[in-house]
Amino acid sequence: MIGEIEIYGVYFPSLLILMVLAFGVTAGLRILLGQLGFYKLVWHRSLMNFALYVIVLGGFVVLTRGW
Amino acid sequence: MMKKLIGKAGPVVLTLIVVVAAVLVGRYLWDYYTNAPWTRDGHIRADVVQIAPDVSGLITEVKVSDNQLVKRGQVLFVIDRARYALALKQAEAVLAQQSAGLLQAKREAARNRGLSDLVARENIEQSEARVQQDEASVAAAATAVEVARLNLQRTVVSSPVDGYLNDRTPRVGDYVSTGKPVLSMVDAHSFHVDGYFEETKMNRVRVNQPVEIQIMGESHKLRGHVQSIAAGIEDRDRSNGATLLPNVNPTFNWVRLAQRIPVRITLDEVPADFRMIAGRTATVAVVAGKGEQQ
Repeated sequence: MIGEIEIYGVYFPSLLILMVLAFGVTAGLRILLGQLGFYKLVWHRSLMNFALYVIVLGGFVVLTRGW
Repeated sequence: MMKKLIGKAGPVVLTLIVVVAAVLVGRYLWDYYTNAPWTRDGHIRADVVQIAPDVSGLITEVKVSDNQLVKRGQVLFVIDRARYALALKQAEAVLAQQSAGLLQAKREAARNRGLSDLVARENIEQSEARVQQDEASVAAAATAVEVARLNLQRTVVSSPVDGYLNDRTPRVGDYVSTGKPVLSMVDAHSFHVDGYFEETKMNRVRVNQPVEIQIMGESHKLRGHVQSIAAGIEDRDRSNGATLLPNVNPTFNWVRLAQRIPVRITLDEVPADFRMIAGRTATVAVVAGKGEQQ
């Protein structure tokens, strides 16, 4: 929550990094799920993708609580 | 027909379940980042003592240097003593003069009393009054000696607290004036953290709650607890006009910024190698806990 990442003198909240990470992980997940044919069972593909992104981000935040 | 409906409903239900889960996660994230009582607007603070000499004069000796740690009572600098030593001598001379006058008055009074048959009653009373007057003069002169001695003592300026000098140490030859601060000291025992919390978070801040403090650029966290919460801040939207009628600032109804309330935090655990510097930036997070209602 209170963590900060310093990039050459500029401080960013750690949430920003987690968001980028979560986006990368979700992108991988999307490809994987596409190959498994998961999206045939899905109503709105983009809505599902966004929901997955939020859940993955939530997972990262919980994992890094102590920061 | 039925089977087709279920076949169509399946993806909708699956998607909605995942979306509801995402909404719950999103709510948790919002609460965690936005509502939780934490702030990046915190600072290490300390009491600053301004050292001003009690007597005026030229500085003849400086016994400390910039940023030095000094103990309570340690001599900081010395003001030219010659003038005050002379003043003491003068006061002592006046005292001697007054004492001599008193002795003479006492002798005269005793003589007049011994010759009470020959001396007019008025003269006896006058001589006794002179004794009393001279006694008062001696007392005044003795006090003046004490004042002169005190002034001489006060030419040596010593530290009132254990603390760190700041970087405006006076130099030899500077002229310092009574009551005008010439250097400031940071009280080494007064370090604490002030967290400026948004007022929207105040309902989750309680006295005695444990607090984690992250100082900018430090790898280790400091621990403390909420010591007290400020009872008031300035009302920025109101001032008094020339007519003494209230002058209230018209604010927007839509976009408003939460004001910040100072919360004073006592430090409990500080890493041994941590260097306290008043003014450093701190991120302050209240650890969820009961605490006490103030």
